[in-house]
Amino acid sequence: MLTYIVKRLLVGVPTLLAVLTVVFFFVRIAPGDPAFIILGDQASPQALAAVRHDLGLDQPMLAQYADFMAMVLRGDLGNSLVTHQSVWGEVAKVLPYTIELTLTALAIGTVLGLPLGVLAARRRNEFIDYAARFLSLLGLSFPAFVSAILLLLAFAIELRWFPVISEARANDPMSRLSALALPAVNLGLIMVAYVMRVARSSMLGVLGEDYIRTARSKGVPAGIVVWRHALRNALIPVVTVVGLYLGVLIGNSVLTEIVFNRPGLGKLIVNALNQRDYTMLEGLMVIYAFFIVIANLLTDLTYGMVDPRVKHQ
Amino acid sequence: MTVAPATRETGALARFGTALRRHKMASLGGGIVVLAALSAIFAPWLSPHDPLEQDVLLRLAGPSADFPLGNDSFGRDILSRILWGGRVSLYVSTASVLIAIVLGGAIGILAGYVGGLFDRIVMAAMDVLLSFPTLVMGLLVVAMLGPTVGNLILAITLTAVAPFARIARAPTLTIKERDFIEAGRALGFSNLRIMIVHILPNVIDEILVMASLWLATAIRTEASLSFIGLGVRPPTATWGGMIREGFENILDQPLLAIFPSIAILVVMFGLNMLGDGLRDTSDPRLRHE
Amino acid sequence: MSDASGRELALDVRGLTTEFRINGRWYPAVRDVSFALKRNETLALVGESGCGKSITALSIMGLVPKANGRVAAGQVLLDGRNLLALSEQQMEKIRGGAIAMIFQEPMTSLNPVLPIGFQVAEALRYHTDLSESEAKARALELLQHVKIPSAARRITDYPHQFSGGMRQRVMIAIALACNPRVILADEPTTALDVTIQAQVLALLAELKAETGLAMIFITHNLGVVASIADRVAVMYAGDIVELAEVGELFRRPTHPYTEALLASIPRVDRDAGDLKPIPGQVPPITAMPAGCRYADRCPLREPRCTQESPPLSPLADSAEHFARCWVRAGTGGSAA
Repeated sequence: MLTYIVKRLLVGVPTLLAVLTVVFFFVRIAPGDPAFIILGDQASPQALAAVRHDLGLDQPMLAQYADFMAMVLRGDLGNSLVTHQSVWGEVAKVLPYTIELTLTALAIGTVLGLPLGVLAARRRNEFIDYAARFLSLLGLSFPAFVSAILLLLAFAIELRWFPVISEARANDPMSRLSALALPAVNLGLIMVAYVMRVARSSMLGVLGEDYIRTARSKGVPAGIVVWRHALRNALIPVVTVVGLYLGVLIGNSVLTEIVFNRPGLGKLIVNALNQRDYTMLEGLMVIYAFFIVIANLLTDLTYGMVDPRVKHQ
Repeated sequence: MTVAPATRETGALARFGTALRRHKMASLGGGIVVLAALSAIFAPWLSPHDPLEQDVLLRLAGPSADFPLGNDSFGRDILSRILWGGRVSLYVSTASVLIAIVLGGAIGILAGYVGGLFDRIVMAAMDVLLSFPTLVMGLLVVAMLGPTVGNLILAITLTAVAPFARIARAPTLTIKERDFIEAGRALGFSNLRIMIVHILPNVIDEILVMASLWLATAIRTEASLSFIGLGVRPPTATWGGMIREGFENILDQPLLAIFPSIAILVVMFGLNMLGDGLRDTSDPRLRHE
Repeated sequence: MSDASGRELALDVRGLTTEFRINGRWYPAVRDVSFALKRNETLALVGESGCGKSITALSIMGLVPKANGRVAAGQVLLDGRNLLALSEQQMEKIRGGAIAMIFQEPMTSLNPVLPIGFQVAEALRYHTDLSESEAKARALELLQHVKIPSAARRITDYPHQFSGGMRQRVMIAIALACNPRVILADEPTTALDVTIQAQVLALLAELKAETGLAMIFITHNLGVVASIADRVAVMYAGDIVELAEVGELFRRPTHPYTEALLASIPRVDRDAGDLKPIPGQVPPITAMPAGCRYADRCPLREPRCTQESPPLSPLADSAEHFARCWVRAGTGGSAA
């Protein structure tokens, strides 16, 4: 198992470097001059040149690239062009909110989605199967911001169960929870739709396999056949889909944070985009690159735990 | 011990009924999609009002005889704007998916045909593209290059190309082995054309399924970007933009957000049903339900 | 087919009919199949692909896929109990215990995420009182018995670490775990190399001699039949068309289909030009003819054959040899 982990880590490194390189070039091909943004267009050419020098924009590309890589590896992501605060500082302020939202959504998605999918597979073509499939198809058809607005409308504005403007105070767990509820439900329900579908189809596939027939021929009770024989095999594609879903989750988080006015990386991204804050954008993309690699690693690790064939490759 | 003769009326009628039942989802979804597309195409004739015509007196008015769905924050007719918004969604989604199919197909076939290092590089590039969720790609492209319809189509196409390239590449590899292994390194346009002719019938099913799902993704992405404010610029009517407006005025007139939401929901639901139904009918394992 | 005394029979199958739903209608894949399996006997169930032999075994085990299959009629008597009348829970106590099955595909019949030792011991946990450690010990014994090398070390390995032949031995160990009285072996050697085949067959013969179990051996290979069977039932299009002791069948194949089968086997001592394939095709399950199902391809066909389906009758001069043929086997006696 250990060699497997090390191998996956090693594969992750070149991927990370590749993505970081893409990030580097992406930010620099954008039209528009960061110097103008900082100083405004009334500035003198000398002032502009000075700022460009500060930002290292007058260096040859390769030197800039080397600097960039060095900074990233040091953990220094530079300062925001707008607020002049350190990028990492800004991110650290909102990171806890994003993490709690993401983890809660993942939890809701898997805890509800898996059993529903398994149930639908076992009761194939009965009412509960049709109902689950219909609802999950419906769930997939709501863009995240649409479902967020509808949730806001129904539960915050009409029913007043939750605050319309969330005021998550870091030291008050109740207010944090109530601010977390609707956004997490929004993200979670969409994820339930994804997970339920793949769990159902994966379980159906597994239930048709020969080794399930062997288990039944041994007289293993039906429930245990599903629980011990089918489930672990069925989980494998589910892990894949959840891994792929993490990317979608980011996009949905951004939208959810906007609708519920919740602090998080999403709002940082949108503000940075609107204000052409290139350093912030670059920093956020670097974080995103790390996130992708870590997510892939975790996915691979989960495979290793579930499927013994993977470890022996 | 005799056995009663098996009656011959396997019934063309019975078989038709089974086929109809199986295709129910696909046809229902398809019907919705076709209706939506038609209403978008004929929006100029179906709209009771000019979508850009403002009337301050009717600001945020509810449904009325003249304006069945009410008015937005500039007094414009919501119904007309929804119909015209559909045109934007239709245009952006079909353009990006069509380009992705053609481009992705070409890339996939080429990579599979040429093979070797070229194949590996191209597929690695596809993998990098695949690691970007569509909305994130949209945000990046629009941020860097500006919020125009063209850039929206570019962003969506960039993420949609990779799956279609994959679909086209797989059968290419198989056929390449089969038909040309004896001919050795057979080059020449006619060979390529033969391959394409062989590949197409095999992948048409998969492409249709993918296409309906990606149309849904495209519409969702365009709407999301418009909602964030990085989509097609106002005053052009877009569903995402209308929902944004509705969000800003949600306490005064929730209907402004609700109606375009229903529009997106219905269209995406139809596309998802179509994609699912197509997938079910083309998967041989599911055929004997 | 009557038996001297019910207690000598390991399994008594009477009038088994299993149907499948195709395009909304039910068609019999196995029609009115009857045979008796005596203690310590190997009955070979022979026929070409699609004749219903596997379905017969699955029907006995209660493993017919419920989605579009059902056992429509018949009785399967084990110790006087009709298995077909049992509930699913009751059947679970019998499967793997009194009756076990070996399947055709060793490569896919073992669960890839569970260790071999666990899969062998599992049946013991449900059919005996053995504790977990006792079951593990017994599993090790079984693996050694089926001659898995280094069994003690490999008992924690996973299926993908074993070859096809080894996996089939594991399947045999699983089937034998609870000392069943009857084993249904569905083409256990078809997917294996010829040399491995011989080993597995020898192993089965050995085990049968040791434990006195009865076996239904399904195969399409007449060579295998000759070497291991005591009695043979030949199936065609869902019917048993001939049933006899093995030597008798090879000496006097009575049903035209059996005759044709034996004649179509290529032999080393004959020219390839003498190959005699059977003309025609098996009728599709959705369009079975009214009379004898083999009539279309039969050189002995008479008018009566296409009108009425013959019963499985004993031959005039041999009460234990049955054939389903108007021409060769008249209407003597009664078929079970």
